[in-house]
This record gives sequence, C-alpha cells and structure tokens, in this order.
Amino acid sequence: MKTIFKFATLTLMMFALSAYSFSASKAENLERGVTGPVGNNTSWSGYSTVSLIPGAGLIPITSTTTVFYIGFTAGAEADITNMVLYTTARGSSTITAVTPVTLGGISNPMIDLASVTVCPVIEISTFNPCIVRLDPTKLVLSALSDYYLAVFFTASDANNNSIGLTAPQFQQSSLRGTYISGDETRLTVGAAIPSTLSFSNQPYSLMYVMNN
Amino acid sequence: MKTVCKFATLTLMMLAIAVCSFAQKNTAPRPETTTQNLVRGVIGPAGTNSSWANYSVFGLVPGSALFPIASSTTVFYFGFTAGTEADVSNMVVYTTTRGSLTITAVTPVTLGGSSSPSIMLSNTSVCPVAPSSTAPCIVRFDPTSLALSPANDYYFAVYLTNNSNNSAIAGTQPGNNQTSLAGTYFGSDYSRLTTGQSIPGVANRSPTFLMYVMNN
Repeated sequence: MKTIFKFATLTLMMFALSAYSFSASKAENLERGVTGPVGNNTSWSGYSTVSLIPGAGLIPITSTTTVFYIGFTAGAEADITNMVLYTTARGSSTITAVTPVTLGGISNPMIDLASVTVCPVIEISTFNPCIVRLDPTKLVLSALSDYYLAVFFTASDANNNSIGLTAPQFQQSSLRGTYISGDETRLTVGAAIPSTLSFSNQPYSLMYVMNN
Repeated sequence: MKTVCKFATLTLMMLAIAVCSFAQKNTAPRPETTTQNLVRGVIGPAGTNSSWANYSVFGLVPGSALFPIASSTTVFYFGFTAGTEADVSNMVVYTTTRGSLTITAVTPVTLGGSSSPSIMLSNTSVCPVAPSSTAPCIVRFDPTSLALSPANDYYFAVYLTNNSNNSAIAGTQPGNNQTSLAGTYFGSDYSRLTTGQSIPGVANRSPTFLMYVMNN
C-alpha cells in the first residue's frame, strides 16, 4: 500500500509538471502595437473603422491564431453591427479573403463598457482606456499580405454617439488606420479597399495584434 | 540506504521534468522556409522621389532593428513609383560594425544574375500595374548569401546610371517612423568602395527605393 501511494504521488507530480510545460502559451506581439499615451476620438454611430495590419511590419513568430485588441476611451456601451478582416496581397487593395471576427462568438456584439468585468477601471478615459480582447481569429498572418480589420458601429445608435475610441498620439506603431461613413464590412473577395481611404495615420481603436 | 535511493530517484526525475518545463520556448520562431521580414519594412503610403540619373542610393539595414530569426540569405525589395526603365550600373552591400562607417566587407547584389541590370518597368511581367505612388512596383532582387548580424550595419548601395531613363524614374520615399530602415543618397558612383574605406555619409533620411528586407 505504501509503495502504491509513493507511485501515485510521483505520477501526480510528473503529470502536474508536464501539464504546466505544455499548457504555457505566452502572449506575444505579431506587430508593433500602440505605444505611449492615447488620445480620444468620439461619436462613432454609422462609421466604420478600418485598420491596416501591414505584412511589412510582421514580427516573425509562429502563430495559428491572431487576436485583436480594441481600445475605448468613453461611453457606456458600444454596439457593433459587423466585424471582418480583409486580406490583400502586400501593397494591393484587392481583397483576396474575408474572415469574420467575433467577440463572445458573434460578429455583432454589444460591448458593455460600464461593466467592471469588461472594463475593470471605471470610468474609462484616455488615462484608463478600456482594452477589449476580441476572440482569437483562426488566421496565420503572412509577411506577403496586408490585412484590414473593419468594424462597423451601428448607425442611428445613441450608445455609439457617446463612445470614444483610442487615437494614438505617437506615430510609433506599425499599425495604421482610418475611418469612413457607412458600413464597409460587407466587401467581398475581388472588391477593393476604398481608394479614398488613407492609411497615413495611426489606427482608431485597434491597439494590439497578438498571438493570444 | 533504500530510502535514500528512492528519494534520490524521485529528486532526479523531478529535476529532469522541471528542467524540461523551464527550457521550453513558448513560441517557436517561424521556420526558415516561410517568407518573413528580417527587419520592419515600409508600412503605409510610400510617397515618391524622382530623377535618379547619376545617383548612388544607400539603404541602411541597421543591425539594431533585426528580428531574431536565422536566415542564411537576405533578399532586398525595391519600390518604383514612376518610369519605364531603370538602369543600374552596379549594386553591392557594404557591411560595417554597428554604428561605424568603416566598411568591413563588400558583397555583390544581383538581379537575374547581373549586378548591372536594366529593370524594365514598362513590362507587365516586372510591374503588373504601371508604377505610381499609390501602387508602387516592387522589384525583388536575387537572394544575397549574407546572414545579417545585429552586431553589424548593412548598406545596400545601388548606383543608377547617368542616363535619360533614370532621369524619369522615381522611387518610394516613406515618411519617418514608417520603417526601421533608413537611407541617404550621393551624386556619382559610390558602389565601388572597398574594405577599409568609409561610407560617405550617415543615413539620416527615410529609405528611398528600399522597402523590404526579407529572408526570401
């Protein structure tokens, strides 16, 4: 009985240590994200944010998933109608793939910014932006492609009129972004990222692109 | 003695497993076969800079900005924003120790096996879309057998022949903070420098033409 007990103890310890080894998954940046303090840009009802994740800025690590983090600086609830990720060849505007992006399993989430489980620090501000982690997207980013995260904030929506999105002050991120009136999340393969969009600025809302 | 032996065995096994746990990398680097960036390339709108006859263009690949991946080759990508033909007289990579301007090695760079290629920008097999500032034509040079080291800096020097074709070409010219690459340029041919000589000046501008430095 004593021997069995010893073996059981040993097996349990080995199992625990092995499980720890294999489960460890460090969250790492896939791109250089937003650094330094952020600014604020308000009233997003009826607008789409479009953020560029350039292949040229990809940090070469292996990841089978891509996780987007979006930042809010004001508001009580953000109502999203749809979120997608467009893929193009590097430097091209022609869409080669469209991948849904979700939060809590849906592409049209309502984000309760007043909840401490969503935003631990209340009230959110430029000093305490609420950073929301979207669901991992099953997509392996390639340095030969560019990616555009498009998020449409529901139109004629009082909640969205009150929300603020992060707007980086320092031009140090590899991410770029812009916005456009109307729903730009319904583009299909073969269509083009609107040529009127300029990606010379830092992104609104998108703060980090990571492997977890 | 038996008890001591049991304890010793148990301790050794725990140590072995623990070492395995802590030695494991959480995220493996991508395999070398994947095309990946060796340094942060040009992101966002590229801008443009024209008229390059009789100029040597220097693109600095700083060792301090290198991503930590292993690659035995280095591939340079140029971006053209105007022109029909670019005539190169010579192109090389100068290696210096990091922060120094003294050349420690000179490595030839080729396109189609030649260090003096004529790049036909009007050919759709080279540029599927006519080059412009909004749709630069990206030209990939032959892989250079050079493993970049963070202890060195590298200057990709391209001398553009003094002719009318090159007077009409333009290259990408990004703004600041859009890349880890830097650059500068000098009138006349500075692609024939040798080991022990100095790079003629510091690369204090954003890189002209040079857009990406990759492993493939």
